[in-house]
Amino acid sequence: MNTNRPFDCRNLQPLALTRRDMLKSISAGFGYLAFAGLSAQAAGYQSPTLPKAPHFTPRANRVIFLAMQGGPSHLDTFDYKPKLIADAGKPGDKGKLVAPVAEFKQRGQSGLWISEAFPQVAQHADELCLLRGMHTDIPNHPQAFVQLHTGSARFVRPSLGAWTLYGLGTENQNLPGYMTIAAPIALGGAQNYGSAFLPASFQGTRMDAPASTGSVDKKARKNDTGTNQGIGNIRANLPADAQRAQLDLVQSMNRDLLATAGANPEVEGIIESYELAFRMQSEVPKVLDMSKESAATLKAYGIGQGSTDNFGKQCLMARRLAESGVRFIEVCHQGWDHHSGLKSRIASSCTAVDQPIAALLADLKQRDLLKDTLVIWGGEFGRTPGNGGADGRGHNAKGYSMWLAGGGVKGGFSYGATDEHGGTAVENKTHVHDLHATILHLLGLDHEKLTYRYAGRDFRLTDVYGQVPKAILA
Amino acid sequence: MLKRQFCWLGLRQVLGSMAVLVPLALAAADKPAEKISPDQLAFFEKKIRPVLVAKCYQCHSANAEKVKGGLLLDTREGTRMGGATGHAIEPGDLKGSLLITAIRSDKKDQMMPPKEKLSPEVIADFEKWVLMGAPDPRDGKARTAKKPDLAEGKNFWSFQPVKPVAVPQPKDTKWSASDIDRFVLKKLEEHQLKPVTDADPHSFIRRLYFDLIGLPPTPEQVAAFVKDYQSATGNRQSAIAKTVDQLLASPHFGERWGRHWLDVARFAESTGKERNFAYPEAWRYRDYVIASFNADKPYDRFIREQVAGDLLPAKDAAQRNELLIATGFLALGPKGLNEKNREQFIMDNVDEQIDVTTRAALGVTVSCARCHDHKFDPFTQRDYYAMAGIFKSTQTHFGVGGGGNGKNRQPSTHVPLVKTYSPAPAASVTAGSATSDKASPTKLTPEMEAKLQKFAENRNPKLVAKLKAMSDAEKLAAYERLVAEVPKAAKAKKNNKYPETPDAPKAIGEPNGQWAMAVLDGKPADCPIYIRGELEEKGPVIPRGFVTVLGATEPAKITPGQSGRLELANWLTSPENPLTARVMANRVWQHLFGDGIVSTPDNFGATGERPTHPELLDFLAARFVANGWSVKQLIREIVLTRTYQLSNASDAKNFAADPDNNYLWRANQRRLDAESIRDSILAASGRLDLQPPAGSPLSSMTDMDLGKGARASLKADSRHRSVYLPIVRDMLPEALDLFDFAEPSLVVAAREVTTVPSQALYMLNSPFIQENAVAFAKRFQGTSADPKERITAAYLLAFSRPPTTAEIARAESYLKTQATQRGGSPESALTTFCQALFASAEFRYVK
Repeated sequence: MNTNRPFDCRNLQPLALTRRDMLKSISAGFGYLAFAGLSAQAAGYQSPTLPKAPHFTPRANRVIFLAMQGGPSHLDTFDYKPKLIADAGKPGDKGKLVAPVAEFKQRGQSGLWISEAFPQVAQHADELCLLRGMHTDIPNHPQAFVQLHTGSARFVRPSLGAWTLYGLGTENQNLPGYMTIAAPIALGGAQNYGSAFLPASFQGTRMDAPASTGSVDKKARKNDTGTNQGIGNIRANLPADAQRAQLDLVQSMNRDLLATAGANPEVEGIIESYELAFRMQSEVPKVLDMSKESAATLKAYGIGQGSTDNFGKQCLMARRLAESGVRFIEVCHQGWDHHSGLKSRIASSCTAVDQPIAALLADLKQRDLLKDTLVIWGGEFGRTPGNGGADGRGHNAKGYSMWLAGGGVKGGFSYGATDEHGGTAVENKTHVHDLHATILHLLGLDHEKLTYRYAGRDFRLTDVYGQVPKAILA
Repeated sequence: MLKRQFCWLGLRQVLGSMAVLVPLALAAADKPAEKISPDQLAFFEKKIRPVLVAKCYQCHSANAEKVKGGLLLDTREGTRMGGATGHAIEPGDLKGSLLITAIRSDKKDQMMPPKEKLSPEVIADFEKWVLMGAPDPRDGKARTAKKPDLAEGKNFWSFQPVKPVAVPQPKDTKWSASDIDRFVLKKLEEHQLKPVTDADPHSFIRRLYFDLIGLPPTPEQVAAFVKDYQSATGNRQSAIAKTVDQLLASPHFGERWGRHWLDVARFAESTGKERNFAYPEAWRYRDYVIASFNADKPYDRFIREQVAGDLLPAKDAAQRNELLIATGFLALGPKGLNEKNREQFIMDNVDEQIDVTTRAALGVTVSCARCHDHKFDPFTQRDYYAMAGIFKSTQTHFGVGGGGNGKNRQPSTHVPLVKTYSPAPAASVTAGSATSDKASPTKLTPEMEAKLQKFAENRNPKLVAKLKAMSDAEKLAAYERLVAEVPKAAKAKKNNKYPETPDAPKAIGEPNGQWAMAVLDGKPADCPIYIRGELEEKGPVIPRGFVTVLGATEPAKITPGQSGRLELANWLTSPENPLTARVMANRVWQHLFGDGIVSTPDNFGATGERPTHPELLDFLAARFVANGWSVKQLIREIVLTRTYQLSNASDAKNFAADPDNNYLWRANQRRLDAESIRDSILAASGRLDLQPPAGSPLSSMTDMDLGKGARASLKADSRHRSVYLPIVRDMLPEALDLFDFAEPSLVVAAREVTTVPSQALYMLNSPFIQENAVAFAKRFQGTSADPKERITAAYLLAFSRPPTTAEIARAESYLKTQATQRGGSPESALTTFCQALFASAEFRYVK
């Protein structure tokens, strides 16, 4: 029960945002909190998630991570290998070589090769920065998925989003700074958005996937217990005026306690946390409520249109959260583990996400958010050029593709390459640690300086690894 | 398995960063001098050594100002072993010799030497040299200037023996109630600080109850204490002592203090990580810990039981079972069940066991030395692998079978408990468990090969071909996987909770039908150093032993045929061990004051904080050992000090000089931990079930990967104390998770205290709080109609104190207004009032 442990990162200076500024900035309905009543001793309290200054000028201010769980095939989507087409049927590393199941074409001004599996995303080719030399350590879903999220499959470590929040804080104190939608319960579960040894305030808040039928159903929302909306206990237990009266009583007791000599400054934090909570009750449903979105927007994301409905809602939610100042947003699409039925399953997985992702990119761009939002697409690993003994492709940790778009990366650009059949990254290889270093870099954080002392050692997201491929920076 | 093959691209940056983080200094390998022909010697001296000296030593020798990449090229050993990225020279193998790759390269960021490429002739010489076997006359041990210096390391304060200290004589001779007070007062006087007044009896009794048993006092208990305390004839200190003794004797004491231990023991009832399987018998360990604290089991004995209970003599079946359950400490860490490589799985488990043992008992991190000597503390890789040998010679029975759709690649068994047991000499105990020994084979035998061959032939020809291409090591790994499949096929026997498996350990005595997570000795063997922690890179074999800087002699004298855990347990708890007593005394202090004398209770090493009161810490540690390692006695002595009994009052002068209260001029206002918050809510509402439950909801979830279904079923209402809630990794109960419960995958010596809006939302809107507010309010229905009395009763239940006049007035006004609001009633007003008490900061603080 040590008190008030510092949320200390020696290299970070808090923004020049004082407590007083913060109180002013959120002062609506808050005037009764007499500044004079706060004892001098209590003045040190700061919310752990207040915005913090980055190490250097950031290129991106927030992240939307489109996690494709299962290991999407790079060979059928973003990594064009003519030799794989030429040698199809010949024996390869893992069974017979399989030609891509979708045709590749050059796209946009940049002429990036992208397959017909992603026809709509391909229209944004000039925004995409393909990482075609990705590799990771273990070709197993659980370890690789955890490593993608925390950097380590072997130890329990804080997630990428938690490190981000620890490094930067978050702009909107009325919303969690790190939200993850439809994260798998298995494959590491909460570890993938956990804070491990970082303070719990930096962990991700999980939301279930939006209900999958039709457009937003008001009745379903009304019957929602609160937890389904992702933020626990968000639904007010009392009518607003009754709750305000109750809260005034609580706050009056809290101020009495704070006014006693020797009060712990944390009590001031409690007072503030109640006001935040009270406002969150009305703010959060507003942010999550997609019913005010235009029919055109819903249609653009593929909401209410069968297979794109679910991921469309996730992507639209991601945009709404990004717009509202959430620092790190992850959405997840599962089922990319295509060991068999490659052609039809690639088609159905890609169809489910293609339009929603394209809509998200377009929407961010039109709202001028893409320039400082880093969008990341990819899974825990890729697939093998060979068929793995069946009508599909095996797991491949040695070479695969991911892509970045938006905040600070070169669009219409391809970095790294696999060998001629696309099995192994051979040129400008990018390990998951390098990806993590890059993401932090784009956010204005030096991955070697973003450390947290735990058990006597300064830990980093990237352990002792990680290099930022400078070539991809815009 | 996890081996990271560095690409050479950007190697220099990597080397640069490694040099900071990894001062690689391997303990010496005692290799005999190599035979070198005179011609080879001449070649080396003429062509190779001068180049190394001129071009490489500046960054890659013991005398280098800053060794880069952990690579030392000034000895044969260092050259062969290589640095952070691998072998610099692999005799006869140009491709495997990273040095050759580096000197051949043209790329700016990978070439070595970094600024000027060597001439083609020199490069050719090096290639020739490697191909002739890299003959190298430079004997001697690779070392860096930064190698941990044991002699110097021993001078560090926490590694020095606990010293006898004289009790200081503060100027004020009247204030102190005990010697502990004299230490504290002396420091206060040195810093011109003055202790504030004593706590009022209401604040004090609340503090004492929460600190000792984690529950609030009932209004009756408060009244009785206050009366005793204030009675003219009564002696204040004797009133306190009486209550302290009652609380120490309470069964709830163990539930409170046992939970502190469960934090450092990273107790949980599932494997966590990528496959989250239940540990259906983990609760036995939880109950063992609680019972041990209630029985005031000597702390040294408590540690010995957990590290080596299976090797200790038992007087009867009950004790034998208790000792087996105790070793659950080593078995219930997080496990990566999806790991394919058996050897890797074992070494990860060994690492976890070293980590929890050293951090729980010694308050230092030795596991840093898995890959390299500890950067800050004088723990060497040699120390690490000396302990690794002990745990590698141990079998961990964590009891997760091969069910669950085969998602578990590393099935394990439980250890059967017994109903009869005849005391046996230690040797036969070992023999008993040795019969069940199925430790991993280390050599491929023809029988194994035959078995693999047969398996492959039965499957398909591709497998046969694949088998043919395998190295011996790969075959061995394949064999282990094959053998591991066996338990999956085993069928559950009727009336038996767990399937009978051929590798399950045999009970010593007649089984009683119950099972435990436990460890037993396996096949004893020393462990080699794994360079940079990589399984493929073996260094010298290290005799089993302990941590050298802490006075361990090497090698440890281990009973033949045993793992060495018994000797480790004895060494950990030897009165000469400088850390064990200090660390525990500090933890007890921390739990009573909010901060330890060392404010980094899990880090007594170089990067930890220094003690604010070093002499007091030694005094407490020595008293602790002298009193037979009695935790209750130590707590008693501390809570009977005047220091502990101080009020939380402020003082401007003191505050200006010591705002953090490092020198204890007053009591700290502390937030209750998650368990006490939930328990207090249930206590106030009159719904707390103080009886311990039997077992755990997890006990029926055998061989189950815990998903949504388990999550739902674990949400079932419980009114038991929070210590008994099911603790599933990554699925913590909401009431605990929100208030900074200890992350159960990590060793946690001090919990965080965070204040976040989700806590406020919980207090305002959660069903749990609502239900209990209703029950809390109902307690007053039918009692006095006078709202003042109701308010007073509610305050006593919530805050252990009566309300002030102003508070009564405020509450009355609230009740009146809310009862007459639209949709309101006197009942609903009382309920929301009671909820407001739960929600208030005072409810979750002690002062």
